[in-house]
Amino acid sequence: MPHSQAAPETTMDDTPPVEISQHKVAEQARSDGKRDDRKIVREAKTVQAEAVNLYYGDFHAVQDVSMKIEPNKVTALIGSSGCGKTTFLRSINRMHELTPGAWVKGAVTIDSEDIYAEAIDPVAVRRVVGMVFQAPNPFPTMSVAQNVIAGVTLNNRKMSKTERQEVVERSLRGAHLWEEVKDRLDKPGAGLSGGQQQRLCIARAIAVEPEILLMDEPCSALDPLATLAIEDLIAELKSRYTIVIVTHNMQQAARASDVTAFFNLEGPGKPGQLVEMASTDTIFTAPKEKATEDYVSGRFG
Amino acid sequence: MTETRIHFQEELSQLEDHALGGLELVVTALERALESVRHQDVELASMVIADDDRIDGRYLEVHQGILSLLALQAPVAGDLRVVAALLHVIKHVERMGDQCVNMAKLVPLDGHQPPAEQSLLDLIQRMGEQAGQQVVQCGQAFARRDVEMAQDLVRQDDLIDELNREVFRRALELGDDVDRREWAMHMMLVGRCIERIGDNAVDIGEQTAFVVTGLFREFEDASHPAVAPPTF
Repeated sequence: MPHSQAAPETTMDDTPPVEISQHKVAEQARSDGKRDDRKIVREAKTVQAEAVNLYYGDFHAVQDVSMKIEPNKVTALIGSSGCGKTTFLRSINRMHELTPGAWVKGAVTIDSEDIYAEAIDPVAVRRVVGMVFQAPNPFPTMSVAQNVIAGVTLNNRKMSKTERQEVVERSLRGAHLWEEVKDRLDKPGAGLSGGQQQRLCIARAIAVEPEILLMDEPCSALDPLATLAIEDLIAELKSRYTIVIVTHNMQQAARASDVTAFFNLEGPGKPGQLVEMASTDTIFTAPKEKATEDYVSGRFG
Repeated sequence: MTETRIHFQEELSQLEDHALGGLELVVTALERALESVRHQDVELASMVIADDDRIDGRYLEVHQGILSLLALQAPVAGDLRVVAALLHVIKHVERMGDQCVNMAKLVPLDGHQPPAEQSLLDLIQRMGEQAGQQVVQCGQAFARRDVEMAQDLVRQDDLIDELNREVFRRALELGDDVDRREWAMHMMLVGRCIERIGDNAVDIGEQTAFVVTGLFREFEDASHPAVAPPTF
């Protein structure tokens, strides 16, 4: 697999960036003024990283990570702080390069399409690869419903009132939040509890119909019950999406994921590396590497 | 790097010592049970039966300790394997204690001067000593995480099985006298108890291999004796 350099977000030539996968069809249909009313057959996608190296300027943050992330499974990335797991996560939807000076070497493919190919539009990648962040971050001035469709409308998609209502209800139901908020869709999203706000963010992420969901410590700001609600939701969402979750909570990785990848770094200032990736069951009962054993056992801090 | 979870590691280590210490109680119980059989010592036999409460108590303590560790410390990986193995180990300890009780309970059934036959008693003694050696060895193998030493228990156990078959043959040869036949049948039951203790020791050896390798495989599959033993 050839190494590729991250394409800058604005290209100097006149070639329009290429949309990826099924969205190309949908975009085309919309530009023709026709409604794309085909039923979308959801297919979670396989993510493949090949010798991915991630840098912040001169700092080498992640070294030579190769892994295959399977569809319809939850893959947990675990490791101590600074080992590069969040940086790696952000490379899957090309958010890494948003940090000034950050760059990527290596290849990340989604169903064999290189997302770092020059012709690929990073915005299109992010539409396919949704992200849920550590702290719930609903738009504070927007209502619950506006929050849900924010991603869709930001993609310049015009929607009828009925269509909007459909998307709001479908997304909130998908995020297990509909019953709790259906009577206050016009109230500010910031008025919800922490757990509800995080589920609102998940609803916002799935409203744009991504195929892959990235979650960066989605429960770290939540109480145990809200955490379990999110974990239940993750278990349900995996039937439709490929899910990658970064978590510091090893019990959460054990409970919520099918596959676990352990990242570590040899020492301060050294790049993070993938040490071991296996079924979560294996990682938490009989890991192969001693470093993994020590980390999951909490033997070394 | 700083070592962490020191308290948990100490707790786990103490729990293991406590469980394996149960094997020492078994060795004592076995020695006394053998002596009571050999000398038809009814009082010593009753002590074996009474002292089994100590082994049962040890079982309850270790069992509770394991539950607490699971609930409070959520061990994983190698630690989890040790905890899971200790649950088996202590169950085998408790069963071995019960076999000693079974042996002791047979002693008073033959009265004060049973028509004993020395060669049969010698075989029982050899079986018992062999079993005692296996009980010690299975504890050492577990504590040292020594798979080779654990697998050697199979070879040792074959000796017990051979002696047990010899006990059976000798018992059949003891003639038609009713009292003598009854005594011989009791010796066969004693032999059976010792043979089971040997099996329990092998089972603990299998737990050692599980802790070290993460794989559970029977050293010998009784239902498929032709299958080669596993390699670790």
